[in-house]
Amino acid sequence: MIAREVMDTRFHCLQPEDTIETAVRRFKTSSDAEGKKIFGMMVTDSDGRLVGMLSMHDILLFIQPKHVEIWGEIEDVDPEPIFEGLLARVRNIRVADIMTTELVTIKPDTHLLVIVDLMIKRHIRRVPVVEGEAVVGIVYRSDLFYHLLRRFVA
Amino acid sequence: MPIVEQRSVLTGLQVKEAMRRDVQRMAADRSLAACIRRMVKFKGNALLVDAPAAGAPIGVVSRTDLMGAYYAGLPLETLVADILAGPPRFCFPDDGLEDALDLMRQEGIHRLYVRGAGPAEIVGVIAFADIVGLLYRFCRFCSQSRRKAKTPDGALARLRVGEVMSPLGAACGPGDPIETVVETLSAHRFGAVLVAGARGEPLGVVSKTDLMVAYLHGEPTAAAAERVMTSPVAVCSTQALLSEAIQQMLLTDVQRLFVTGAEAPAVVGVLSLSDAARFRSGTCRACVTSRLMTGE
Repeated sequence: MIAREVMDTRFHCLQPEDTIETAVRRFKTSSDAEGKKIFGMMVTDSDGRLVGMLSMHDILLFIQPKHVEIWGEIEDVDPEPIFEGLLARVRNIRVADIMTTELVTIKPDTHLLVIVDLMIKRHIRRVPVVEGEAVVGIVYRSDLFYHLLRRFVA
Repeated sequence: MPIVEQRSVLTGLQVKEAMRRDVQRMAADRSLAACIRRMVKFKGNALLVDAPAAGAPIGVVSRTDLMGAYYAGLPLETLVADILAGPPRFCFPDDGLEDALDLMRQEGIHRLYVRGAGPAEIVGVIAFADIVGLLYRFCRFCSQSRRKAKTPDGALARLRVGEVMSPLGAACGPGDPIETVVETLSAHRFGAVLVAGARGEPLGVVSKTDLMVAYLHGEPTAAAAERVMTSPVAVCSTQALLSEAIQQMLLTDVQRLFVTGAEAPAVVGVLSLSDAARFRSGTCRACVTSRLMTGE
């Protein structure tokens, strides 16, 4: 019952200097390539070292308007063009600007129940697996869930 | 002698009705780069800074402080402790909104942190823009405002941007260096400066957030303003209704609109949320006139 058994070794990464537009496109292409929804990706530098994680949550947080309650109340204005204007502010923003840098990582031999504990306590859905300085995989909560509870779906 | 007490739409409202509960905090021993990233990510105008060991707030770092660090050429590894301003100003959740506004006015600041039971317990933050947003929402649902808008002369009672705006103090050219933009912002106490073309037409805006991002990306202060400006510029006409302008600012998260006159596209003025707030809700004059009450 260790990380190596459930970690996904086919993962897609972003670069810190990528734009948010590139990141969104990469989320889509990676999801299509893997045949499953990818909600977060690792960010690695030019030497392949893990420097952060960027999730859909981070991007949604950034594009969310400050006065969101007013958006819920307006009826007399077409919100689409205004929202398009809000999206324009991602133009100068790079992945490194909004990625999460306080990371939780595990090793390939970390016990699965320790990973469960980490995910519950830290409210995380995916954990990078690191060996030395190299990223060797990623454990998704859904993979962990179905692996641990596979007897109920057999 | 009777005392006339003027009541406003804010009377009776408490800080907790307008405050935000997600307070962004950072330890004083973190770097300016980390500080900027946090502010960009959460679109904050300031961070509450905690003492590294005690975890109690000791100061505030604002976009203005970071702009100053950029101008001074401080490295991004500089500690937040080296540039913070302090101590932070506090209020309590059950304080009146008018009292909170008075305190902001006296101190010349735009936000107060809301303290809980203990000195280190911070339960929220209240910013000037949040109060304007709350006012705007009240105004939209105000029966007086709606009734006036429906009367034949309703349009006369509603304020227009041209009556409220301030003249455009200064602007920069697209080729001006970033350091000139910073000097203009500081000299005029602007939140953002217009980048205008030769005929005064708006080309872009450089805000303090744009400068923070430029600082983070290592843009030299000698670089041209057009490299960091945001475009298109959020504009409105002098004839636009003030209520619509406030709505535009609140929906698009900008704190000012540049105002074009009859000879568009030249910019003739600027409307800030502060200008709008001087006229309270801005939708009509009902709030002030209908709430004048006489007491003992």
